[in-house]
Amino acid sequence: MPALSIGFEVHQPYRLNRNFTPDPKVKKRHIQNLYFDEVNRDLLLRIAEKCYIPATTMILDLLDDGFSCAFSLSGTVIEQLEKWSPNTLCLFEQVAQHRNAEILAQTYYHSIASCFHDKTEFTEQVRMHSALMHDLFHADPTVFENTEFTFNNDIAGCVRDMGFCGVFTEGVERVLDWRSPNYLYTCRDIPVILRNTRLSDDIAFRFTNRSWDMYPLTADTWARWVAESPGEVVNVFLDYESFGEHMWPETGIFDFLRHLPGELSARDVPVILPSKVITEYVPVDSITVPDTISWADIEKDTSAWMGNDRQLTAFHALEAARVFAKDKQTWRYLQTSDHFYYMASKYGSCGEVHSYFCYLSGEEAFRTYMRIIADFEERSLRYMKNRRAARALRTLSPENAFYFHSPSGFIGYTAYSLDQFCELVSIVPADSLRYHQDRGDFACWINDILGDPLIAESIRECTERQDIKNLVGEWRDELWSHVK
Amino acid sequence: MEGRIVESCKIAIFCWESLYAERVGGLANAATNLAETLAKCHEVHYFTRGQVPDQTINNVSYHYCQPRGNNIVEYCDSMSRGMVENFFKFDTHQRFDYLHFNDWHAVQALHELQDRNTILTYHSTEYGRNGNQYGDWWEYKEISGKEWYGGLIAKRVTAVSATLKNEVMTLYNVPDWKCDVVPNGIVPRQFRADIDAGEVKKAYGIHPFAPLILFIGRLVYQKGPDLLIEAMKTVCQAHPDAKLIVAGEGGMRQFLMERAKYLPANFVGYVPDSEYIRLLNACDLVVIPSRNEPFGLVLLEAWSAEKSVVASNVGGLSENIDTFVDGLKVEPEPGSLAWGINTIMDDPSQAVALGKRGRKKVERIFLWEPIAGKMTETYARVVA
Repeated sequence: MPALSIGFEVHQPYRLNRNFTPDPKVKKRHIQNLYFDEVNRDLLLRIAEKCYIPATTMILDLLDDGFSCAFSLSGTVIEQLEKWSPNTLCLFEQVAQHRNAEILAQTYYHSIASCFHDKTEFTEQVRMHSALMHDLFHADPTVFENTEFTFNNDIAGCVRDMGFCGVFTEGVERVLDWRSPNYLYTCRDIPVILRNTRLSDDIAFRFTNRSWDMYPLTADTWARWVAESPGEVVNVFLDYESFGEHMWPETGIFDFLRHLPGELSARDVPVILPSKVITEYVPVDSITVPDTISWADIEKDTSAWMGNDRQLTAFHALEAARVFAKDKQTWRYLQTSDHFYYMASKYGSCGEVHSYFCYLSGEEAFRTYMRIIADFEERSLRYMKNRRAARALRTLSPENAFYFHSPSGFIGYTAYSLDQFCELVSIVPADSLRYHQDRGDFACWINDILGDPLIAESIRECTERQDIKNLVGEWRDELWSHVK
Repeated sequence: MEGRIVESCKIAIFCWESLYAERVGGLANAATNLAETLAKCHEVHYFTRGQVPDQTINNVSYHYCQPRGNNIVEYCDSMSRGMVENFFKFDTHQRFDYLHFNDWHAVQALHELQDRNTILTYHSTEYGRNGNQYGDWWEYKEISGKEWYGGLIAKRVTAVSATLKNEVMTLYNVPDWKCDVVPNGIVPRQFRADIDAGEVKKAYGIHPFAPLILFIGRLVYQKGPDLLIEAMKTVCQAHPDAKLIVAGEGGMRQFLMERAKYLPANFVGYVPDSEYIRLLNACDLVVIPSRNEPFGLVLLEAWSAEKSVVASNVGGLSENIDTFVDGLKVEPEPGSLAWGINTIMDDPSQAVALGKRGRKKVERIFLWEPIAGKMTETYARVVA
């Protein structure tokens, strides 16, 4: 009979201000009030009332009775609780210091920094999080869990080098092939705990699904499934907000949780902590994950954050913003994965999940994000060494971006930076280039928005795509060499 | 890696068209993209024709000649001579390792350089271009003669699909061991645009929510536009709001317009690339009703834009589509086409899913990097 380890993800982002408009009068120290939505406070209070307080109170009782579970709290949710609901934070402190509970490590900002080419930002955020856990909870996490379980070989190596004993990620079928997630594995010499997707989703998604043939799911049925599972240890990981927020109390989710420990012990299923999984069991095999996996949607890859061109544009803008980030904290708030999740354009049941979690449409989320990151960089310009170069390389708001047209209208390509412009010049149809060149649009844009009258004059002379490409390409490379 | 060229080599590409000078059709795109991808790790020279001075673009050196001729065959022979002349100018110091010829136009050059490591790629055959029929006029015989001769003397041959490989094996007795299938590649970013579909539809007088079917291609018998027009009669009964846009020119236009008099079909004629991108991204479904299609590049373009596809079960289309996974294959006849179109339009969310999976397939199989890798494997087999 396998053991069970169960963990909860607790996270809230700083959602961006939908109605953001640049306001130079707002001082730097108040900038976060301008960038982040007032709705954050209301949502946090609602979630605390519906989920964090009742669920944590119940779990504290269960822990006293011998149940054990792990929690992973992002730095941003802790900041919000400190500010707006300190009593709830007290409950989490009690959990963290309970002998039957374990705190896991993650990135402070629940960020997608692990997807950056350069991993230093990622490791720094992990250290920040560990420091916070130590200061606040006196806990020193030994098991790491990345944002939305994002994982690949490089991340495994990185986490190993930071000294963690193990890492939690998704039991993705295409990685496991015929193997079961109910064992301990290794990747790049670090033990890997794999989430049992089916048993986790039975609670997180199917519990309320009336068309599911196992509806309604009760604690004894689920405990039986765990008991009957093959393997050594079933690892379950859930969004904590499932309890009471995604699934309301009326669905019976709290009754499920209350009765679960009893039903598990009635079937002699031991419940253990993730760190125990790593010390108790011997890895049966090693896995290699060249392509990034995660727990999101059915694709189980990064497509929830970097699946469409909008998301990729925003991601590249964010990565490029590193050199502009004199104010690192704001830059890091912008790295939270949720901002990218809101920009998704998915269909089917995953699309429904996305729209449930999103407080605004994908298009709107993208425009808001670009506006804010553009303003953030604009404000940083004055502190930068080479201001002219930085100005030309900055990310542009949708109002300043270049929209490629043909005589009959917009053709769907937009350049939000000089970098993107260079890329698009080799992609857009030749007749669109000719159209803009005849009207002198490139010259105007480079002069007015990027602020370089000399290049603007030179581009007027170009007749071929190749000439434009070479001109802006060389200019771009030169600018970056000044800024970096 | 077995069979793959690891060290850098010197490659000559012979093609009668290129992206930056004389450009006729899809061949320019395919050969130029292949050359640019190969140029990332090899020295690549591209011998072609054009009125411009030699130039180097994205690491590929282009060498142009200006051929003359009273007919297409003479013209191509003159071009071949010019190409060989240019070739020898750059064959000094380090000699070329591989010589890659595209289609029949440069077969005369292949003849003169036949002792070297030569590869010939078939993008189509004269028989196929003629609607799967033999011709009895002299150009037909000359061109197919050159196609046969090229296949005979080239050290290796590639075809863009298994269907085309079978075709050249049957027509020109090219032996099976000598011929590899290397499909065309695509740059998907060029075809997906973030565009408001409703706005484009309105520009064509179509309601923003009406389902839009797109046909793009020459209006000739081979491409089967007539089958689609017939099918539309059935489609309109099930989906009275459906609209069809036929983009492209060709000899059948008058005939088709006559047949489509009472159908919601708009013949927009030839469209520039930018307009094609707009239409492709605004439509709900791309139909490819071809009777013969050695490869079917439109399929990759539609997939790149995440569009679902209803296509004839012929040639490269047949090989690349998985029905109900990333598209729908039907028989090239009106009833079957109508069934396919209706099936897609009955379930819009399924249609989106097919398109998304098509895009994934493009990113898995049809990017130029892996295709160029396959091509270098063929190169390696010349010397193996």
